[in-house]
Amino acid sequence: MHISEGVLSTQVLIAGWAASGVGVYIGLKKLEPDKIARTALVASAFFLASLIHFKLGPSSAHLTLIAPAGLLLGWQVFPAVLAALFLQAILFNFGGFLVLGANLFIMAAPGLAAYLIFKKLIINNENKFAVVYAFIAGALAVLLAALLAGAALAMSNHEFINIAKILFAANLPLALIEGIITALLISWLKRAAPEFLA
Amino acid sequence: MLKKISALIALIIFSLNNFAYAHGTGWREVELKAAALEFLYSDGELMSYCEAKIYSPRDDKIAFQTMRTDELGRVAFVPDQQGQWRVVVSDNQGHRAEAKINVTQNLNNNLNNNNLISQQDIYIRAVLGVSLLFNIAAIILLRRRKAVNN
Repeated sequence: MHISEGVLSTQVLIAGWAASGVGVYIGLKKLEPDKIARTALVASAFFLASLIHFKLGPSSAHLTLIAPAGLLLGWQVFPAVLAALFLQAILFNFGGFLVLGANLFIMAAPGLAAYLIFKKLIINNENKFAVVYAFIAGALAVLLAALLAGAALAMSNHEFINIAKILFAANLPLALIEGIITALLISWLKRAAPEFLA
Repeated sequence: MLKKISALIALIIFSLNNFAYAHGTGWREVELKAAALEFLYSDGELMSYCEAKIYSPRDDKIAFQTMRTDELGRVAFVPDQQGQWRVVVSDNQGHRAEAKINVTQNLNNNLNNNNLISQQDIYIRAVLGVSLLFNIAAIILLRRRKAVNN
């Protein structure tokens, strides 16, 4: 879900940087020393996840782990994803530097949404209900990212409806896979390391 | 009278002939050297049937050729002059690849030209990336601790 350089309009690029800048600022402001190692760990997982590709019919997709990143980090998802996307741009030619702000918002905002909507529901409910909420968070985060990517492309004079349909259809299987991964991860964390969810 | 009718028939035939030539089409086989490129996603998947625009060295705004990549993600075109040619391939889902190739005097492009990362390089870069992320975290942690101690 990395939008390439040269695709988005200048206005969308500026808006992406502005929105992401706010997120990164708040994320760094709220970053406590004891959460720095966790942020690096999640950023590394996000960084590596995009290298894991799998075939989905005629196309292929890569993992994003947006929802787990958001649920584990909260606002720190912005600086974590920023560092990961920056390194992906340098090391793998994914996305680009000018488009980094927009890509960051597309990936980090759904993670933050997962945190704000589902974190308390996951913590305060029994494991079986928490797993269901985690699955929904994982799936919705991917679909929200696809929607944001579609909106960014539409605002850059692309045909929104067609793009939205293609992106939604292409990411639907990925949403299911990410939902399952998020559910399994949260289920394990609730049993083995609940302090990670605190 | 016969002369007039003959002249009229001749005029009609002549007109039809001209009309037919004005809208006629034809083809011939030619021997040309084409520049060919293959476009792939970073995971090695081919960029099949994507929109492709080719810009010549003399005009960077209006495309010299607009086409789609074939099933195997390939684009081929025939440059008509030497210089830097630009090929932009887009899948309209946010992915865009841009290739710049230098066409030399005898219209041969440099076949060694590519920007793909080898599989081995990907592993090395992945390890480097993770290492950098933890190093960045360590630097932030040290700075925070230093600030607290001061």
